[in-house]
Amino acid sequence: MTTKDFSIKWLAYALALLPVWFAQAFLVNRFPLFGVVPSLLPLAAVAVAVLEGASAGAGFGLAVGVLFDTLEPGSAGWMTLALTLVGLCAGLLAQYVLRQDLLGCLVCSVLALGAIDAGRILARLLTGRAGLSAMAAVAGREIAWSLCFVPLVYLLFRWVFRRVPKATVL
Amino acid sequence: MKDFLKHNGILILVIAVLLALITAVLSLTFGGMADPLSNAAGVIATPFRNGINAFVNWTEGVYSDAFQRESMQEELEALKKENAELKKQARDGAAASRENERLRNLLGLKTERPDFQLQEAAVTARSASNWSSTLTISKGSAADVAAGDCVVDEYGNLVGVISEVGLNWSRLITVVDVDLEVGGLIARTDGAAILEGDFQLMGQGRLKLAYLPEDTRLLAGDTILTSGLKSGDTAAYPSGLVVGYVEEVRSDDSGMSDYAVLTPAAELGKLEQVFVIKEFSMVE
Repeated sequence: MTTKDFSIKWLAYALALLPVWFAQAFLVNRFPLFGVVPSLLPLAAVAVAVLEGASAGAGFGLAVGVLFDTLEPGSAGWMTLALTLVGLCAGLLAQYVLRQDLLGCLVCSVLALGAIDAGRILARLLTGRAGLSAMAAVAGREIAWSLCFVPLVYLLFRWVFRRVPKATVL
Repeated sequence: MKDFLKHNGILILVIAVLLALITAVLSLTFGGMADPLSNAAGVIATPFRNGINAFVNWTEGVYSDAFQRESMQEELEALKKENAELKKQARDGAAASRENERLRNLLGLKTERPDFQLQEAAVTARSASNWSSTLTISKGSAADVAAGDCVVDEYGNLVGVISEVGLNWSRLITVVDVDLEVGGLIARTDGAAILEGDFQLMGQGRLKLAYLPEDTRLLAGDTILTSGLKSGDTAAYPSGLVVGYVEEVRSDDSGMSDYAVLTPAAELGKLEQVFVIKEFSMVE
């Protein structure tokens, strides 16, 4: 793959990320369901990781994490790290354990959202700011609501995946 | 032709004269009615005439459409533009009207609290997560906004506290965020308590008033203000800002103490414009 192909490919993924970011930042937060809004950006990181594999997934996860941290105050950069790991693990899982399809993406999304929310709950438990049951209830609703968007996000990135240049294996 | 006329000319002339004479005689005979010859010719010709007339009319219509369509299109475009302009004016009028109302309310706040130095800002974004309740506003350090500044709506109701400041933007945690902790005052009894966000209540857009004075009985609808007193290591806030109204009183999980659930006075979900309190007089 030439540098030009590489640039085109990641530019296309970045452009595909824009509507997801826009929806997360300006749309879904205005229409909460059962008191929660879906978490779309991690789904984007997972979708690309499932399609592109571990290393590309980690790279894209890093970029999405930076975007997430600029969007949400108080995360102190931990989402950058978390989404990089999510990209890496989702890529590995899809490549070697699951399949690189919608079902694989769905399973990886459940695990990713669960891991991210577990981290959040742990952090808040340490500061003693909130009760476990209340946070678990919010996390459960958030994961369930977010999973409804997995097909949409996955199909968007699969559409891009089928059109961008691929690495040639000799 | 010359030969034809030479040989038949007289004959043709005679026939023509005869036909003219017959027609004249028949016309005089039938008085006002078409003579049979004209009538027969007319009967035969009428369908053709009608057809030709229709065709001509149609052609004229097409011709007219072709040349007038452009002017009609221009007229339509002009009307569309005018319509859009009028709609824009109506929108601007409505927006100006809303802003006017906000400024009138603000004027009341300024008269009531002359010690406040306010900075107007627009709400540009809302939190996109279930784990915090924040707003992003359009003014930052360039407008002397600083972390810890209180933010109010045009009625002087507390919206939140600035938590992060950029050059031309700031983020504030709203009164329902779990990280907020402010000294509260029960307006009816002057009892002091602590206003704080609660994770469970945050999703419902509410907050709680904790550490209630022992001898205080709260009533639904009681107004809760900021006390202006420092709470722990928090920054000092202006006193007398309306935070919310008591909705109900609950006991905590241990059952040892009560807390009140408050509905914020500021409509957090509908805010478009807010005011940052940059300076205020401290309560001694």
